[in-house]
Amino acid sequence: MPTDRRYLAAGSQNLSGEHDTKMHADSTSLTMAQADAGVKPLAILRRSLSQYPFLFALLLLVIALAINYALQDNLFELRTLNRNLRGFLPSIILAVGQTLVIIGGGVDLSVGAIVSMVNAILVTLITAESSPEQVGLAILIGCGAGVLAGMVNGFCVAYLRLQPIVTTYATSFVFSGLALLILPRPGGAIPEFLEDLYRSTPGDIPFAVYMIVLVVIVWWLLRSSRFGQYLFATGGKAEAAYTTGVPVNRIRLMSYVLCGLFAALAALAYTTLTSSGNPRSGDDLTLPSVVAVVLGGTRLSGGQGGVVGTIFGVIILGVFRNIISFANIDSWWQTLVNALIIIAALAGPGLLTALRGRNRS
Amino acid sequence: MTVSLSAQHVVKRYGGVVALADGHLEVRSGEVVALLGANGSGKSTLSKIITGVVAPNEGQLQLNGQPITFASPRDARRAGIAAVYQELSLIPDMSVAENIWLTHEPYQLWRVNRRKMRQDTQKLLDLFGGTYRASLTPDAPINSLPPDERQIVEILKALSFQPRIIILDEATASLDSQQVDRLFDLVARWKSEGMAVVFVSHRMEEIFRIADRATVLRNGRHVGDRLMQGTTERDLVNLMIESAAQPHAHERPPLQADAPVRLQVENLQAGPIAGVNLTLRDGELLGLGGLQGQGQSELLLALFGALPISRGTVTLSGERVRYGHPWEAMERGVAFVPGDRGSEGLLLSRSILENMHLPSWAKFGFPLKMRQAEAEAQRSADELRLVMAGLGAPVSSLSGGNAQKVVIGKWLLRSPRLLLLNDPTKGVDVGAKGEFYTLLNQLRAQGTAILFYSSDDDELIGLCDRVLVLHDGQVSADLRGGDVTRVNLVSASMGGGGAVVGG
Repeated sequence: MPTDRRYLAAGSQNLSGEHDTKMHADSTSLTMAQADAGVKPLAILRRSLSQYPFLFALLLLVIALAINYALQDNLFELRTLNRNLRGFLPSIILAVGQTLVIIGGGVDLSVGAIVSMVNAILVTLITAESSPEQVGLAILIGCGAGVLAGMVNGFCVAYLRLQPIVTTYATSFVFSGLALLILPRPGGAIPEFLEDLYRSTPGDIPFAVYMIVLVVIVWWLLRSSRFGQYLFATGGKAEAAYTTGVPVNRIRLMSYVLCGLFAALAALAYTTLTSSGNPRSGDDLTLPSVVAVVLGGTRLSGGQGGVVGTIFGVIILGVFRNIISFANIDSWWQTLVNALIIIAALAGPGLLTALRGRNRS
Repeated sequence: MTVSLSAQHVVKRYGGVVALADGHLEVRSGEVVALLGANGSGKSTLSKIITGVVAPNEGQLQLNGQPITFASPRDARRAGIAAVYQELSLIPDMSVAENIWLTHEPYQLWRVNRRKMRQDTQKLLDLFGGTYRASLTPDAPINSLPPDERQIVEILKALSFQPRIIILDEATASLDSQQVDRLFDLVARWKSEGMAVVFVSHRMEEIFRIADRATVLRNGRHVGDRLMQGTTERDLVNLMIESAAQPHAHERPPLQADAPVRLQVENLQAGPIAGVNLTLRDGELLGLGGLQGQGQSELLLALFGALPISRGTVTLSGERVRYGHPWEAMERGVAFVPGDRGSEGLLLSRSILENMHLPSWAKFGFPLKMRQAEAEAQRSADELRLVMAGLGAPVSSLSGGNAQKVVIGKWLLRSPRLLLLNDPTKGVDVGAKGEFYTLLNQLRAQGTAILFYSSDDDELIGLCDRVLVLHDGQVSADLRGGDVTRVNLVSASMGGGGAVVGG
């Protein structure tokens, strides 16, 4: 059975795990399709869920907001909204980049480290007295660093055929190391105009909302371009995409480069939010970025999903964090819940099959 | 515009295994060339080289007389070559339209023009109008379609590139006769429009219907070209193989009517199976026939414990059984050979040895007695006449026919008492089939009870004393002895069994 060595040699290695899940998912949808005949409302629910994968996230968001509102009655006042959203913005930008990589069939566990690194670069280049020109230059350099980091990841995964999880876990230590090298201990400051811009509410709408809308527009452009088609095809079935003539390696590389760029922008948002630098700032951002993608309805094995759901996912996680702090619950619960969400997402298809098997017999 | 493509002395090696030793193919405008060969003869490899999916180690491709090399399928596409692949090149999660226009989406400024994409898809679908279900629309996701409709989409996808040369690699395998007719009408039209067509198929009848010329490969070598006018099926088959194997050439072991009942199934319901009864004695080979997808695979899976049974009873060796897991069936001496050897039967990247012993490691103790395992695997590899680089070579290095032998071999090492076969010779070449039939008869002589589903009627006629034809999950005919004829099988598979069978 001659398969294409040039392309598959190592690709089959790094995909094998994901293939299993996908096969699972396929058989689930088959058995579900058979079961649908009897249960109409379930079928409708399933169809709308597959068409708008973020519906589940939206539902969860409404519940979370309701609980938060019960604990904090000024939640919907502009000041609170602004404070919340500008706090969420770095995570949103970061998770959007993660979504691109995951749709393309990979995952990037180095995003948090890239945030730390770019954060360190920014506060080293920027002082409280920097002019807008100097700030602009620093941002360009920071974005360049993010792109470079993404290129390293993408090159290893796409061209050297290394496993995404292991590769990006390893490179994350490189990036954190660089962050510590550039900025050995927390400190630094940024000009006031930058802080003010980030906190502003032009037209009584928080600045973060404009940024979120911008991100969604960028996503929409990507999605309606050829790149979008290629990205979904690569994540959906890489061999088939290759034989169709999709430049699979280049698309994988691009997804990591874009993710690196988004991570750099997230670092910029984080730097303006905290007005300072911390070489460990991104340490706790990686896991939530993956969780947000999963909550948003993007499939972890690739080929399906979108950015809108991810944004809901980030906000859900943020609102839960609020609830946890208002309800005086220990914060490690948040980490535990994050981990459980990922495990549930991975186990979901298999669990469904098992449950259905029992129902039938 | 005329076009011609030729491949000369093309060689492709995968590690130590030579997939193609001396490939040769020529095709030009207005011509349909059939690429023939048994499995493992290298025809898939040759068509992948022409379409740029794999690069040859040696040899030359010429397009319109000019030497050309393809670095990727993209290059071949640009040169006007498109292929309909046997292993479909469709993305399951994407829609029909998105799949067809992938890599050449219509654009409107910076955006993919989805409306145009949909309209153009509908135009293409109309070429097959009336032969598919209403649920096949431009927006339908691929994973919601049955195999024949996926195949149609695959064909239309190749067509959407407006190729000058099109390669149809087993494109008819999952199509029904009406869809095949439509495809052949299209091929005739392409021919008159000056396209060149390469047609790879196992079905001799189809080759005689549409091909002008046949190029035959054997064991990776080009062994001859024949004009279809003036050649016979016999002649081509002789070119393809050294000795033609026909199932009816085999002596059948006599049927023991009083042999103990191995398997008794009463009113079985599972998945699409709606009440099946059957009795199988030791040493008996009971055939399952009918159109594809009438519940044959599910019946076998249910008897192997891989599909939950909702109603009915299964009695194995006089004991009522209800499996929670295939393991329990295996412990009782049941073996299952799946039809889709790629996804169900084999660990492709693992060695032949490991694959053979996967169900049997338990008998080699701890630490595993590797020498004994190797000896046993070698013995059955010899029995199966496996062509391989060594027991340590990965299964992926084997040809299709040899890989299927490993699937069967791994169960034979357990000496099963009940053998369930799910269309085991699908896509296997004639030579390997012959060896397989001999093997089945040996097993019967040893008293193994065999339940055998085949999509090949001739195989059922040649091998089985008794055939149950399934239709819509039920037995529509129980044919015995002389009643196992092509006419009866076809008529029963359409659901009209009883009337023709008579007595």
